[in-house]
Amino acid sequence: MRRFIISVIAALAVVLAVSGAVLAGTGGGSSVTEARLERALPTEFANLYSQQAKLLGHRGVTPASLHAKAMCDKGGAVEDNVGPGSNWNCLVSWTDPNNPMPPEGYGKFELDVHSNGCFTAGGPSKLVGFQTITDTRGREVANPVYEFDGCFDPNGDNTPTGVRFPSVLNVTTTALRPDADNRVGLQLSCGTGATGCQGTVTATAGGTTLGRQPFDLQEELTGTVSFPTPVPAGATEVTFTIRTDTGVGPTSPSTLSMPG
Amino acid sequence: MTATDVLTGRPTQAAPVLGSRPGLGAALRWETRKLRAQLRTKALLIGAVLVPIAVVVIVHSQPRPPKDTLFGRFATDNGFAMALLVLGFAAQWVLPLLTSIVAGDIFASEDQHGTWKTVLTRSTSRSTLFWGKSLVSIGFALLALLVLAAATIAASVLIVGHQPLTGLSGQTIQPQSAVTLVVASWACMALPMIGFTCLAILFSVWSRNVAVGIAAPVVIGLVMQLVGALGGIESLRPYLLTTPFEAWHGLLAEPRFTGPLLDGVITSAGWSVVCLVAAYLVLRRRDITGG
Amino acid sequence: MDDQLAVDAVDVVKAFGSIRAVDEITIKVAPGEVYGVLGPNGAGKTTFLRMLLGLIRPDSGTVRVFGRTWAHDGIATLDGVAGFIESPAFYPYLTGRQNLEGLGLLDGGARSGRLDEILEVVDLAGRADDRVRGYSYGMRQRLGVAASLIREPRLLVLDEPANGLDPAGIRDMRALVKRLADSGLTVLLSSHHMDEVEEICDNVTIMRRGEVAFHGAIAELRAQAPDPGYALATTDDARALAVAGRLPAVTATRAPDSGLTVTGPEDAVSSYVADLVRDGIRLRAFTPTRTPLEQLFFMLTDTGVRNEEVA
Repeated sequence: MRRFIISVIAALAVVLAVSGAVLAGTGGGSSVTEARLERALPTEFANLYSQQAKLLGHRGVTPASLHAKAMCDKGGAVEDNVGPGSNWNCLVSWTDPNNPMPPEGYGKFELDVHSNGCFTAGGPSKLVGFQTITDTRGREVANPVYEFDGCFDPNGDNTPTGVRFPSVLNVTTTALRPDADNRVGLQLSCGTGATGCQGTVTATAGGTTLGRQPFDLQEELTGTVSFPTPVPAGATEVTFTIRTDTGVGPTSPSTLSMPG
Repeated sequence: MTATDVLTGRPTQAAPVLGSRPGLGAALRWETRKLRAQLRTKALLIGAVLVPIAVVVIVHSQPRPPKDTLFGRFATDNGFAMALLVLGFAAQWVLPLLTSIVAGDIFASEDQHGTWKTVLTRSTSRSTLFWGKSLVSIGFALLALLVLAAATIAASVLIVGHQPLTGLSGQTIQPQSAVTLVVASWACMALPMIGFTCLAILFSVWSRNVAVGIAAPVVIGLVMQLVGALGGIESLRPYLLTTPFEAWHGLLAEPRFTGPLLDGVITSAGWSVVCLVAAYLVLRRRDITGG
Repeated sequence: MDDQLAVDAVDVVKAFGSIRAVDEITIKVAPGEVYGVLGPNGAGKTTFLRMLLGLIRPDSGTVRVFGRTWAHDGIATLDGVAGFIESPAFYPYLTGRQNLEGLGLLDGGARSGRLDEILEVVDLAGRADDRVRGYSYGMRQRLGVAASLIREPRLLVLDEPANGLDPAGIRDMRALVKRLADSGLTVLLSSHHMDEVEEICDNVTIMRRGEVAFHGAIAELRAQAPDPGYALATTDDARALAVAGRLPAVTATRAPDSGLTVTGPEDAVSSYVADLVRDGIRLRAFTPTRTPLEQLFFMLTDTGVRNEEVA
């Protein structure tokens, strides 16, 4: 028994030493990369989307006609776009005459990618529909693009695809909370995208300009823009006009009411 | 013939006393014969037929498909997906266990029964016995895999059906090619399964303990799977014996990729050779003091 | 070929850790000889036999079997050699016959019909198709002999063949070994019972803690043997002791529980008994205790004695 325990410990030591050497030698590199996902996902999506089109009776949709392209990102700007995880996001653009794209030109897919090169992708229901769809014969069938599994070649082409999409800038403030001096701020969130969101926000209230403040947000981050001038007494709403230099912002100004 | 005649036999005859020197064939026949006489062998093979049928029936009757595993989301209404779902599940621990029950036992049971001294004092060398046992273990592993695969594929296609399959690149695979791909995917398990057989042989020789010989490869398989799934240490993946169990994914993609399969051949062969050589050296050098 | 020794082991050493199980043992067995290796349990007999059969590698020294060595000839060293070490072991899930058939395969195939003859010899013909799982100890022992015989050996190695058997089994086994020995086989027999070896062996090696304590012919051993001893019960032990005092060749002592222990040459003991009868002391019991060889064996191997002064 003693002999056996010693052997087991020796074997474990060898295994650890070899693994350490391999890790040190390779830097722990992962085969899960942005470029491989950006190649695999649109291919699979295009195949499944045309399958969906067939179910829905949409004509003229083929995998090739969709010209699907993707840009993938893991964990926003703070993380390298490499390695398995459930925090991968891919922006996918495609062309379907039956179903126009939103202004930013893409839909966002959430991916759970495993170290073996397989992933589960969830499509944006606004663009691809919900879990089940009604086919041409009136039956409820599973929506092939709502959620799907795929695998990419872990040794596949790893050169960057060059596909870049701008981030979407959204206003996340739903109710204004003025401070003691009656000054307000606006919370903005910058979505997944290539270069983050930069631009300015102009706030006006009852004819007074509260300020024109710049913002510079990295992708998948949220920030608050504060305006120096207090909201004049008696003003009931504040209008924010956003101009984006990078990123896609809201096209119309947002108007928020002052509390009570 | 009287007793004395028998006893005297041919005592003055020159060596070798018996006709022909037994070779690997004799060892193979002997080990096969022993394996066939054991209840566990029959139980395993019967299990390899019945269990997949039961699994297919049960999964098929579920209202929600098991989406957590690859092809699970199609398994309730596509026979090919069902066969691949069972494959993915089997590769986790069923295949290592299936082969370990025989290979982990085949050497250690000689210690358990104290029969090393019985077989090693015949005219068959340790080396020949070693290769005989190893080849029979590998043969059993392949037979068990064949039975399991055949039962799974047949049950899946007959019970669930043979609809066109959606591949891992979203492509539609027609039933004719789907059959080929499913069979090929199951066939891809052969090499890593041989690798696990050799690992079990090593533990069987080294530990001299049946329980260790059977359990250790399964546990190591689960640990390797865990290590392979962790982020940050993925450069270890190509060296893990569980990685070739996933190499079939490439066959179901479009375009097909076979890199992992080729890597898997090297990995499986590497593990098999290292384990077999180590086991061989341990057994050759060993003093048979027990029994 | 004929002048070649069946077993020629020279200066064989085997240590397990710090224990030297076999320490420079030299044993030579001529063809046709029936040779005994004697010693108490743990003396190194079994370790020596395991080295002879290639189950253990010696640390140093050479073991030749019919001129062949393990290093040079490998498994061919066992050509013409058969036997078993300690109690023979078989596969419990196979029948006796299946076990023998399988082992025959590993021998290169047993002659057809021979299996039945041998099963008859060892008296297992009736149980040959039962699984070994259900065999008694004695049946396994006999199956061990059968497994050796199907090799048609020239040298038969038997390690304590009667060990663990009941009296009837011991008697049968001894008769079988004697028949085998008489048939002209070279037999190497190990035992810790002097009487088992005494009646059939020509030469013996007595081992004690890995070393040779005696080596030579049984006749030579007999010459060294002490006087035989007898247990004596009389109607008057005190007077019987006094009578013994008058005879210098006879030693009588009180036995631990009752009666006397008497040792001396056979003639002297006979006249002592005659004296007792003449003096009107009646004998209630007169039985030989240990045989002289046994007595010698126990002396040589220090069995049950604190042995610093002997060593």
